[in-house]
Amino acid sequence: MFLTRSEYDRGVNTFSPEGRLFQVEYAIEAIKLGSTAIGIRTSEGVVLAVEKRVTSPLLVADSIEKILEIDTHVACAMSGLTADSRTMIEHARIEAQNHTFNYDEPVPVESVTQSVCDLALRFGESTDGQQSTMSRPFGVALLIAGVDDRGPQLFHTDPSGTFWRYEAKAIGAGSEGAQTELQEQYHRGMSLEEAETLALKVLKQVMEEKLSSTNVQLAKVTEQTGFQIYTKDELEAVIGRL
Amino acid sequence: MDFAQFQQAPVSVPTEHHSHGNRWDPYVDNGGTSLAIAGEDFVVVASDTRQSNGYSINSRYSPKAFELSNGSVLATTGYHADALKLVEHIEQRAQLYFHKHDRAMNVSAMAQMLSGILYSKRFFPYYVFPILSGLDAKGKGAVYTYDPVGNMERVNYQAYGSASALVQPFLDSQVGFKNQRNADPSRLLERPQAVKLAIDAFTGATERDIHTGDWLDLFIIDQDGIHQTKRELKHD
Amino acid sequence: MSIMEYNGSAVVAMVGKNCVAIAADKRLGQRALTVDMNFQKVFPITDRTAEERIIEPKTFSNLVSHMLYERRFGPYFVEPVIAGLDKDNKPFVGTASDNLFGMCESLWEPDLEPEELFETISQALLNAVDRDAMSGWGAVVHVITKDGVITRDLKGRMD
Repeated sequence: MFLTRSEYDRGVNTFSPEGRLFQVEYAIEAIKLGSTAIGIRTSEGVVLAVEKRVTSPLLVADSIEKILEIDTHVACAMSGLTADSRTMIEHARIEAQNHTFNYDEPVPVESVTQSVCDLALRFGESTDGQQSTMSRPFGVALLIAGVDDRGPQLFHTDPSGTFWRYEAKAIGAGSEGAQTELQEQYHRGMSLEEAETLALKVLKQVMEEKLSSTNVQLAKVTEQTGFQIYTKDELEAVIGRL
Repeated sequence: MDFAQFQQAPVSVPTEHHSHGNRWDPYVDNGGTSLAIAGEDFVVVASDTRQSNGYSINSRYSPKAFELSNGSVLATTGYHADALKLVEHIEQRAQLYFHKHDRAMNVSAMAQMLSGILYSKRFFPYYVFPILSGLDAKGKGAVYTYDPVGNMERVNYQAYGSASALVQPFLDSQVGFKNQRNADPSRLLERPQAVKLAIDAFTGATERDIHTGDWLDLFIIDQDGIHQTKRELKHD
Repeated sequence: MSIMEYNGSAVVAMVGKNCVAIAADKRLGQRALTVDMNFQKVFPITDRTAEERIIEPKTFSNLVSHMLYERRFGPYFVEPVIAGLDKDNKPFVGTASDNLFGMCESLWEPDLEPEELFETISQALLNAVDRDAMSGWGAVVHVITKDGVITRDLKGRMD
């Protein structure tokens, strides 16, 4: 009488009798296969750190981009399907530019997060009987870091289109271990420098490869300088403090 | 040179829009004058309340400066019906902004939005000359002026409307300190001076411009909010 | 455009205490084209210090009025202003007249001394012509007192 679990797997718009949307849940699972990304918020700004999986010595490590700029005051670290993240970040960038065009001010961090989540829910949606543009949920989680008139903020979004505000958050394959570690080590009075060290320290613990300046990326968003990715030298200086 | 074309009396008579045989016109100039003067931490906004159509007076008290929900004031001249619709349009967008971003718009955001609203009707414009006033993010007096299709400029003072030709040079002299060698043109007025000049400007404008008069709506915007007073102007 | 705006100009006169002032800008144009930037628009009719018979301003005013009305159906395209001692009020003409009306209505007050009158008429004229594209290029002010005429050139915006 009831359809089996596998039959409910097919429709992205169909709840199972237990009230679950399996495709969305699987998408969340997909993120747990992705590379680890960490975000830490401090009163001075937000730090983002990601692991880059350099799977072959022939792979150009610089071509792996997992921290991206949305606007000068908002950035984003991703884990999951890189291609899906392009769509979401493109959307976020347009939203940020439109906001500035319309209101002559930087877009609030929460608003740009909300707009990305609105997009995440549009799977299976179509207008006037046309072919829907997105047939499945995005397989991406984002850590959106930014500074606005409410100070430095860090948001986490997942494929269900939900977002939360965090003081410190880890996503991706090593997220469970990393989150536990962050919970123990994070404190509210943390400086940006301490956050840099903590982010790399936690990343180092959960990474399979040995952490180096080629297989991690570090970035910050501060009130003074906006979004900045650390140069190789700056990154090595932080690694030196570990 | 053919002077024949100039033989008619060099006087232009306002068109009677309701007379017979005239094609219907979607726009009417309802006359009146509005001005704003920015100070360091306040803005003075003033509008007369006469609403006219040609030589007839539609209303002696029809305010054309409006308090907006975010604590700014929009002073208008031009076509009154369009001004009312423009205020509705702005307030609707401001409400959407409030819900979307969980905060009131500051004046600079509203100023940019207003420019967009006006330009979005580039080919059937609101026939309104708006002056948007409030305090900026640093608490300084801010005055933004527009033409009907959204060209925007932040200024320290401005007069628009039927007596603008009379009032603007006066403000140039007394608020902008133009043609005064030892004066600092960027100096902002103190509050009592600004209020006095606004009133003086309207007393003069009312004397010589038939479309301006009856009552003066005065707004002073400062940190504590908007303080509104009403003064009498000549009714003739 | 009215023929009265063909050349463009701003002329203003004001009464003070035992003095009058008359002032004009220096531009002469043909519509938007500026032809002369130092054109005389104020002309002396009599010199009050001369001992011979002189014409009173009021009499001259009447004369001009009649001369203009004589051409009722083919008028002179001018709007003259006459100022002299004993006495006139404060008329103004030219393309900047709205601007001048606004300035004078709020700046002028009765019984100004000659120097105050000079300052007032100068401010009124300069700020008025700065908001009129058809007038400007500096100005000249004459203040007439019982002791004589003080003439001063005003530097203004040259645009």
